[in-house]
Amino acid sequence: MTSIARERSLGEQFPRLAANGGLDAPELQRLRARARRFAEEHLRPRALEIDRRTGEEPGWFDWNLVRAGAEHGMLSFLIPKPDGGAGGLATQAAVVMEELCAACPGIALIFGAHALGISPLLLGGPSQWDGVLAELVASECTGEPQLMACAITEPEAGTDVEDPDLLRLARITSHARRVPGGFRLSGTKRFISNGSVARWITILMPTDPRHAAETWTCFLVDTRSEGFAVSRVEHKMGQRACPAAELTFEDVFVPAERIVGREADGAAATTIVLACSRPPVGAIATGIARGAYERVLDWLHEDPTAKGLLERQHVQLALADMEEEIHLARQLYMDAATELDHAALGDAMSHPVVRSLAHVPASIRGRAPVRGWLHSDRARDATIALLHRTTSEHAVTRSLALSSMAKARGGDVAMRVTGAALELAGLRAGPVRAELEKLWRDAKLTQIYEGTNQLNRLEVYRGLCHEETIQCLPPLRRIHPDTDGKTRTNAHAHAHPDADTDRNASANGDGGRS
Amino acid sequence: MSMTTLAERAEIRAMARELASRELTPRAAALDAGDQDALHECWRLLVELGLDRALLGEQRAGAGLGTADLLATIEELAVGDAGIAMSVLLCNTALAALADEQLAGVPTGTRWTLAPAALGTELRISDGRLDGRIACALGAYDADGLVILPDGPAPLAWTLDTSAGGCKIERDLAQMGLRAAPAASIELAGVSCTAALSGADGGSAELGVAGALALLRAGTAAIAHGIARRAREMALEYAHARQQGGVAIIEHDAVSDMLAAMAVRLACWPQVAAADPAGLAIEEAQALAAKIAATDAAVMSTTDAVQVFGGTGYMVETGIEKLMRDAKYCQLFPEPNWAAHRELMRSERSGRAA
Repeated sequence: MTSIARERSLGEQFPRLAANGGLDAPELQRLRARARRFAEEHLRPRALEIDRRTGEEPGWFDWNLVRAGAEHGMLSFLIPKPDGGAGGLATQAAVVMEELCAACPGIALIFGAHALGISPLLLGGPSQWDGVLAELVASECTGEPQLMACAITEPEAGTDVEDPDLLRLARITSHARRVPGGFRLSGTKRFISNGSVARWITILMPTDPRHAAETWTCFLVDTRSEGFAVSRVEHKMGQRACPAAELTFEDVFVPAERIVGREADGAAATTIVLACSRPPVGAIATGIARGAYERVLDWLHEDPTAKGLLERQHVQLALADMEEEIHLARQLYMDAATELDHAALGDAMSHPVVRSLAHVPASIRGRAPVRGWLHSDRARDATIALLHRTTSEHAVTRSLALSSMAKARGGDVAMRVTGAALELAGLRAGPVRAELEKLWRDAKLTQIYEGTNQLNRLEVYRGLCHEETIQCLPPLRRIHPDTDGKTRTNAHAHAHPDADTDRNASANGDGGRS
Repeated sequence: MSMTTLAERAEIRAMARELASRELTPRAAALDAGDQDALHECWRLLVELGLDRALLGEQRAGAGLGTADLLATIEELAVGDAGIAMSVLLCNTALAALADEQLAGVPTGTRWTLAPAALGTELRISDGRLDGRIACALGAYDADGLVILPDGPAPLAWTLDTSAGGCKIERDLAQMGLRAAPAASIELAGVSCTAALSGADGGSAELGVAGALALLRAGTAAIAHGIARRAREMALEYAHARQQGGVAIIEHDAVSDMLAAMAVRLACWPQVAAADPAGLAIEEAQALAAKIAATDAAVMSTTDAVQVFGGTGYMVETGIEKLMRDAKYCQLFPEPNWAAHRELMRSERSGRAA
């Protein structure tokens, strides 16, 4: 079935974006074309079958799709180029997600959740770029790909763990206990996309459960570790191809070098990760809306049971409304992604120090002295200092607000457009009805995950209406508890007189938001 | 048709409410999963109470309920399971469309359904034989009898035996909502059928074609209202129990605003009143308006209810997302609401012309 809508170039439709080097930037176009080809060849033909199968058997997972995705580079588009990836940021992730979700949001989520799992590692600095990221690229090349996941939500704490203020009051029950050489992780994480199939998981837990927000820390967990278990796979309403799992941690040992970033920087890291991940979620929602629009348009043009409907003004108005909504949703997520990639984090990711470090051959970075330095407190502090020099809490807060706006509006658009498309087709529409119903079920999740739309809109208020600045960069100085339980101040942090202390004054305070 | 007193009406409603909470709600998940044993057990209980033919007059072995009572009963059943409520509505409407002599041949306890052949359905009738196809006919799978309402101004409905030669009924496996009214696609190849006489035309049936459609629409509105009630009950309970940010989520304006909006929608429900409380006649425009308003409200309220539950609400085991799927199907039955809008204006225009 050919789609009239799909044949049009997005650049033709959106000249402003094209002029900005946005959607039509050659590299981005190639990535989009690759994602579309993968979606058309592998996702769309199997979307209904996999939805039905996983509806009956939620734990079932199709690794062949992951292998096919690996062949199209869908597992490494965020990984830095020197490590073998495509070096993409939020814009690339968003464009890929829209293309995949127009075909099947459930299968697309496998790759989206994988990208979310990678994000904290990218932001954790060069110490994180070797090892697992290189392993992921290698696995992609060998045809036995590995997946990642990110675990934040807990049974008693969901939306509130995604907001630094609410996190202080959240009922966190997990705990990372300090032991010689690292930490032992205990607790339960819930609704973790890819949780049951991931090889590696970036996970957030407090090192002191009495002060969860202040000690919220990101760890990289090997799912082959003793004590890790998948306790259940959820039966979801939609986006079923990607399993959502409950994960149990019983004294799972994580070596100290697998702290992502620094201990207790988790709340700030979560904020930045959400600023990065919400534009792609807006794109997921846009893709779902586009998928429904394209299907109903095809049906109206081609199906005998829809004969004459296109001549009715009601139908024409409904289609025009869908076009408008999709256009605006796409504009929002592109604006948010561009803001993040260029204004908020662009300077950090393209800083000469980062670039030159990335060009040091992996064989040298892997040598014990270099590796030891990269994982030292000094190197981790230097990463934070560089972040402070290249961006500001104001810029990240604004970026988070735009990202949240794109996510919330996109989710609403997905619900409206899929609902309207289903209503146009009705119960009598034949095979397209099942596809539209699936997209409608899939769409609902976009109003919930990555923080409910309500929470996202509160972020929009804080960042844009009230012009607050959230404490979203890890502080320059960090108190490091020693393995013996005593604490010491990191002297290195004091040795950064060139840090933009005025711009980042709030980062050193404890007031949360300024 | 007997006139029910207020006390009798309250008793009927209480009985349906009790049945819904004691028997239907606990089986709702199984019914949604397509459990045939649960479906048969629920139907047995409904037949025991005479709800399968509640609308029929006592002289036709029915309970003799008027429209208002039937709609109230269906709403209560929908609080327990909307698919079961839809089965009851379809069976009553189908049987009420039959003439006396046709009804006499229908054994007690059998489940009939009525399939409005709406938009895009191609049906041809020639020499008492039907050809064509109807997709997603709610309640048609495993039904004992079928009444077909053709699209357009045709004054007759057609009844056929689902086991007749040339009638192929296949379960609609993609059915997303109202799954306790199991849908089927119906292929008809020269199937022998009989005209069900229109009451308005002086036949012995209690409903004419227009009356049957109006009842379907009013009944769908009642089901949607029952779904919205259940959604609010569940969301309210959860909002008191679930804590986020150190307080029950009902303390957050974002949640309490949604619960308040659900209450407003319930309060503004335009109940359909029969012209005569004991009779069956429902004004077409009123039924259409009620169906559009109630089903749109139910879709909004159930979507909000899932939102109140957050990620938990997206999981099948909580039962709240099922309400969202059921409500969406109400919006699409017997026709999508945009088509109902068109019908409403056609009805208004013809009224003005008259």
